[in-house]
This record gives sequence, C-alpha cells and structure tokens, in this order.
Amino acid sequence: MTTVIRIQHEDFNLQQEYDRLRAIGGPGAIVTFSGLVRDFNRGDSEAAAAVETLTLQHYPGMTEKLLGEIVEQAEGRWTVNGITVIHRIGELRPSDQIVLVAVSAAHRQEAFAAAEFLMDYLKTRATFWKKISAGGATQWVDMNAVDVDAAARWQQAQGAESEQASNRKQSGE
Amino acid sequence: MLKILFFGRLSDVAGAERMDIASHASITTITMLRDHLGQGNEALLRALNEPQVMVALNQILVDWDCNLQPGDEVAFLPPVTGG
Repeated sequence: MTTVIRIQHEDFNLQQEYDRLRAIGGPGAIVTFSGLVRDFNRGDSEAAAAVETLTLQHYPGMTEKLLGEIVEQAEGRWTVNGITVIHRIGELRPSDQIVLVAVSAAHRQEAFAAAEFLMDYLKTRATFWKKISAGGATQWVDMNAVDVDAAARWQQAQGAESEQASNRKQSGE
Repeated sequence: MLKILFFGRLSDVAGAERMDIASHASITTITMLRDHLGQGNEALLRALNEPQVMVALNQILVDWDCNLQPGDEVAFLPPVTGG
C-alpha cells in the first residue's frame, strides 16, 4: 500500500501521478478524479457572477492529519494498492486544478468506491476553506448540503455492511 | 499563553487569523474562552455560537467544555469547503 498526501501551492501533473500509481504494481484499475475551479459563482440570491479568483485556506498540521485519517478509513474499507491525494492552496483561477484523488486497486469497483469516498469525506471533513472573488465582491463559500448528504451515505452504507455481517453470523453462514 | 486561531469567515469577524492571549484563571474551558473573546465583540460571539462551528484543541476536534492548559492551541473552525 502506497500513500501520497500533499498540500501544495503549485499545480500537479495528472499524467505523472497516474504513472507513479501504475508503477506500484498490483494492477487492474486506476481511478483518478480531479476537481477544477468553476467559472461561475453559485450565489444564494443574485445572478451567477463570473469568478475572478478562488482562494484556498487550510489549517496546516491538522489538514494533513485529517487527510491521513480519511485515507486510513478508505484502506480499511476497500482493498487498494495505492492512494494519492493532492490538494492545492492559495489563489487559483477558473479551470485551475484544485484537487486530485487517485486510487489504484485490483478491480474497478473498489477503485471507484474508494475514490468517491475519499472525495466525499475530504469535502466535508478536511480543514480547507474557499473564498471567492466574483463581480468585485469577495465572499467565503458556504458548505453545500449536497456534499453533507453524499458523505453521510457512506456511514449508512457501513451500517448496512455490518448489519449484513451480523445477520450472516446469526444465520450461521 | 493561549494561541487562538480563526479560519474562514471567522477570521473576518475576529479581525485576525491569530490571537495570543494570556492564560487566565477565569478561562478554564473553551466555552469560557469563547465568552471572553466575545466580550466587546458581539458579532464574534454570535459567529462562534453558530451550531456548525467546530473547535479543535491542539489540532484535535473536541467538545466545547474541554479544559484548557497554558500553551494550548485553540482553533475555531467554520464548516469546511475544500475539494
């Protein structure tokens, strides 16, 4: 199991990260997800304004620790060979890369599930904050309820998994 | 001394990202620290009292009634928005 967690100002190279995971071996499937800066601001009431910059702040030390815990949880739930999480900080512009999650596993199901879990947990637990500058105004981004729901379903899924396991135990399977 | 950190919109309301305050016998829990910080800054007290705000003590998420020691780092965290 190879884990890479990086928080950095500079951009990342998708091909490079993919190649590194590929070189680890234990192949079968590699899923990569990259998140980019949107070019419009999902405002509450006003019409969408063109985004000029997106600034990412984080809590140094704590963010690394939280990302480490999230990756550990993913490793506990799925059999994977390698996980890479890269998150950028500082000032970004529309269509810039913000985040990369890449998972290498023997089979695609595990790679897809682990990557999605990592993104859902990263979005709702890792200590990053976004500030958008759009239409001459600056505002901190609000947490998205959709993201909270997306993260919550993994807890329900885990509950169902352990329930299934205990049912199997009871029925002597 | 206590090292206080504010993130996201809370730093705007507090007027600083970091604040060092002298340890004081009357500030023994995070709730007391919050009330102390809110003295004379009604907006900050309101913002810190919002239910979604979390608090970390020495980079570990904790409950608000957690005890404080000199040298502690206390961070007030609004809902996160990374990714």
